[in-house]
Amino acid sequence: MIDVLRAGFCDLVMDQGRTGYGALGVPVGGAADPAALVYANQLVGNNKEAAGLEITLAGPQLFFPAGGMVALTGARFAASRSSGAAAPWNAALALAAGETLTLGRAEAGCRCWLAVRGGIAVPRVMGSRSTFLPAGFGGLQGRRLQSGDALPTGNAAEAAVCKVTLQPAPSSGRVLRVIAGPQAGQFDDAGLAAFFGSPYRVGPASDRRGLRLLGAAVSHRSLELPSQGVLPGAIQVPPDGQPIILGWDGPISGGYPVIAGVIAADWPWLAQLQPGDTLQFETIAVDAAQTLARQTWIQGEVE
Amino acid sequence: MSHDTDPHALPLARRSSLHPAAGAAWRWVSERGVLLATGDATLARYAALSSRHWPEVEDLVPADGTLLLILRPGAAMSAALRQALCADATSPSGASGVLHPIRVEYGGVAGPDLDALAARAGLSRDAYINSHTAVEYRVAFLGFQPGFAYLQGLPAALHVPRRASPRVRVPAGSVAIGGVYCGIYPASGPGGWHLIGRAAVTVFDPLRPRPALLLPGDRVRFVAA
Repeated sequence: MIDVLRAGFCDLVMDQGRTGYGALGVPVGGAADPAALVYANQLVGNNKEAAGLEITLAGPQLFFPAGGMVALTGARFAASRSSGAAAPWNAALALAAGETLTLGRAEAGCRCWLAVRGGIAVPRVMGSRSTFLPAGFGGLQGRRLQSGDALPTGNAAEAAVCKVTLQPAPSSGRVLRVIAGPQAGQFDDAGLAAFFGSPYRVGPASDRRGLRLLGAAVSHRSLELPSQGVLPGAIQVPPDGQPIILGWDGPISGGYPVIAGVIAADWPWLAQLQPGDTLQFETIAVDAAQTLARQTWIQGEVE
Repeated sequence: MSHDTDPHALPLARRSSLHPAAGAAWRWVSERGVLLATGDATLARYAALSSRHWPEVEDLVPADGTLLLILRPGAAMSAALRQALCADATSPSGASGVLHPIRVEYGGVAGPDLDALAARAGLSRDAYINSHTAVEYRVAFLGFQPGFAYLQGLPAALHVPRRASPRVRVPAGSVAIGGVYCGIYPASGPGGWHLIGRAAVTVFDPLRPRPALLLPGDRVRFVAA
């Protein structure tokens, strides 16, 4: 059990998401950087499917009445322990009974992940413990954590020993690699030049559903499209020409033209973008992108 | 007519849009997303592809004339899958899904747009309701919200563009018209379709063994309560 003394800005229970329900209108969701959560689970001896916390921009204050083994991965946040011991990232931290872990603001980036040995033992909904905020299910009662919550944790003795040697993907860089999208050929030269040639800023109205970008308008012939399937990383261009990168909890279909799609290998960086950050796009070949994704995930297979 | 060619050449290329008539045309959405132009055969292709196990495919998402294949992270399409995509599209499936009779309370507070829609269609209230209940609808695909089914088969006289300004809150169970489609809102929330009534069914419950009441290919018959 973990007591939430003070909730952070947006603390969500997450695992690797719920796959196979796209036809029901339910996206995979799950940790914004799935590999970072796998890595945290590995550090505390959980299997990779275990649920942890995804912490955004400003973290919570957590009390461990019976102690516990935790690990933090992803963006670095201000962090302190009531014992006075250090709280480094990418390491297993043994918390004593009655110890408090306090996370402050993100020092760089946007999100970090906290795994606890035994995992966070909320019930599975449609096969996953991930919170799906847009429809209010999964995680802890379908919502972000609140001060006063008690988070159930699994039996630490039952946690499987994991053999992965996954390293967290670097989240630095200023260029997101994309595959040209299904309607890329319908944008005019000025629109394509703007999209591939100028920087975009992450707008304030960005969350797990999507990153709304601000910058040079990507002009296109006003396309009336029937609703088509989309997935996280797909970049839609609404009539105002300001691109939207669909996020992990975004819709599974949409009617705006899709100019490009961010490759899975760059999701860890996508997960660390916050309002005000700038980025640019460059294209990469499909097979190269698939190879990059394999380099992350084949190593991540649990034996 | 697939293209996984060098995307660096893109700004010079003027490629045609996805065209349903091309049958097996497909395009990348990202290296994990393959968008097939399936036209009227979307449900048939969805059924055909879902009936086989493809180790590289994580999910299949039918939509309005297209089918999205989501590949597992790092996976490439096998030759067998490419071959299946290039095979002739079968005609719309004759296989019938489950038929759901759904009782609807039409008009009033439950359907505040009914009278205006009837007037627009040049029908009396009763004639509008008769027209809406006279046909069998087919679930083309789900989207927008978990469990929100786009129902095909709305009589042409009842087609109507979406509302100019969406409502901030539409009650769960609202039966609504948007363009050529009819739908039932699974949960309360914002919505831009016209509300003609309310159904006393739970169309989506993530805790049920079958979370979505209506699945692609299912059929719906509305009954006036």
